[in-house]
Amino acid sequence: MNTARTFNPVSQYLQLTAMHLRMFRGNIAFIMMVQCVLSLGLVYGFGYLMPQITTTTALFVVTGAATQGLVTMGLVMLPQFLAEAKQEGRMDYFMTLPVSREAYLFAQMTVVAVLALPGVLFSLAIGAWHYGLSLSIDPAFAPVVVLAMFSLAGLGVTMAIVSPHLQVTNAITQLIIFYVLFFAPVLMPKDQLPGFLQQASVVMPPAYAADAVRATLTSLPGTHLLQSLLVLSASGAASLVLSAVMIRRRG
Amino acid sequence: MQESVFSASVSRAVLDIRDLRKQYRNGTLANDGISLSLAPGEVYGLLGPNGAGKTTLVRQVLGLLRPTSGTICIDGVDVVANPGFARRSVGFLPQGQFDLQSVHVDELIFSVARLRGLARPEAQRKTEELIDDLGLAPFRKTSMHAASGGIRRIAGFAAAVAGNARLLVLDEPTNDVDPIRRQLLWNMIAGLGRGGTTVLLVTHNLAEAERVITRLAIIDGGRILREGSPASLRSVVTERLHLDLTAGGDVAPHPALLADPAGGGRFLFDQRDLPAVSGWLAALREDGLLLDFRIGPPTLDDIYAVAVGEQVCTEVPA
Repeated sequence: MNTARTFNPVSQYLQLTAMHLRMFRGNIAFIMMVQCVLSLGLVYGFGYLMPQITTTTALFVVTGAATQGLVTMGLVMLPQFLAEAKQEGRMDYFMTLPVSREAYLFAQMTVVAVLALPGVLFSLAIGAWHYGLSLSIDPAFAPVVVLAMFSLAGLGVTMAIVSPHLQVTNAITQLIIFYVLFFAPVLMPKDQLPGFLQQASVVMPPAYAADAVRATLTSLPGTHLLQSLLVLSASGAASLVLSAVMIRRRG
Repeated sequence: MQESVFSASVSRAVLDIRDLRKQYRNGTLANDGISLSLAPGEVYGLLGPNGAGKTTLVRQVLGLLRPTSGTICIDGVDVVANPGFARRSVGFLPQGQFDLQSVHVDELIFSVARLRGLARPEAQRKTEELIDDLGLAPFRKTSMHAASGGIRRIAGFAAAVAGNARLLVLDEPTNDVDPIRRQLLWNMIAGLGRGGTTVLLVTHNLAEAERVITRLAIIDGGRILREGSPASLRSVVTERLHLDLTAGGDVAPHPALLADPAGGGRFLFDQRDLPAVSGWLAALREDGLLLDFRIGPPTLDDIYAVAVGEQVCTEVPA
């Protein structure tokens, strides 16, 4: 049994990504459909709420709905899935394999990115059609979406790993949805929020994700693309480092 | 990174644990000075009641928990300091029914083999070999979520074996498995031992495990109560016999009977009490209270019962 072995983190990342996509294959269509229905609900629902919706507001709603799709996958579904994996012993099982911890974390993030993107594109397409908007797609849009997705997913991973229990994680993710829908500058302009929520949004990555998405799709004033990209990069990197450290803890 | 983990001398213990203590933050002392050493090719049974400290011990060997004190070496490498070496050296079957959802049985085996560093052709060959050997062919495209508990267990076993690990840690490998495949598993575990793979086997299925175990430790309260070969441990109860008894109602036990802690109708008694116990059984039969009984030499179950504490019977199960 003198077996020569190769432990290559990139190969492990690809293996783990494929394995996790296979884990989800029974639910991929359902997850994507739910994402699309959520987008549809946001795009149409806000229109019903504001029958005289302006183009500017519609642009906020449509780009906000797309960002909400990223938040739902990165900061809600991913932490819930990981917390469940932790509780049921799946994460421990992978931790007993000779795989790079970073490869394991990146694989999770890649899977949710793959699952999120169709919903994001659908919300933009259906929103532009419904409100008769013309979105000017900047070449930076694709990398911005990928960066925003990975940054939010990095935070989601950290949340799941730091959280002591599945129920705690689930409760936090419900609060995140509630916050992003109604109290963050994601579906609405920042200056419409009260002062303390404007200040709070400074430390909330979904606000930067929404800003970056808007900056690459619209000519709405008040966006800060470079700043948003820097914050998303920094928070994503910091959360990944923290997750990699936490996942190595041995109790 | 090319690596061969099988370069260690065969004379060296594959797994060597010394004075292992693990105290959790809440104060629970789960392992209290455990020492054991597994030679190459040894199938070592780890027995003990729930909460005895077996899982804590296993998690430390796998590098998932850091010991409070003591050492764990695999092939002479300190895996407390270098848990990555443990992960490369140990194939693991966890106790729980880990649900990998829509992953197919053959994909699980192949993927774990690949993640354990095997090249694609070798992983493919190993997967096919294990599917054939373990009778998994009808289930190869069954998802782990849809598979029965027994098939999940066998698939998990195949995944643990697939990486050609130097040391296998198998936690209750035959739980939920049907009798025919259980036999296949035990035969394969015995074969792995003969082929030089060292196996740390956590099980409650003593009657079946007895055939493959070369040595065992009975642990409780975080300490090893007894350790040795099945034959040497059986000498502990050599003066005793065991009685399997099914009674047809509430029966006051004979004073010579020592209760089975599990309460399954298995009792030990001293060989010198055989005439008295036989007379008692005859009286039960005359009263129509004896449905079935069997008297035989002690088994590992009896050793286990003695080790974790003898109790005088209070009631015979109906």
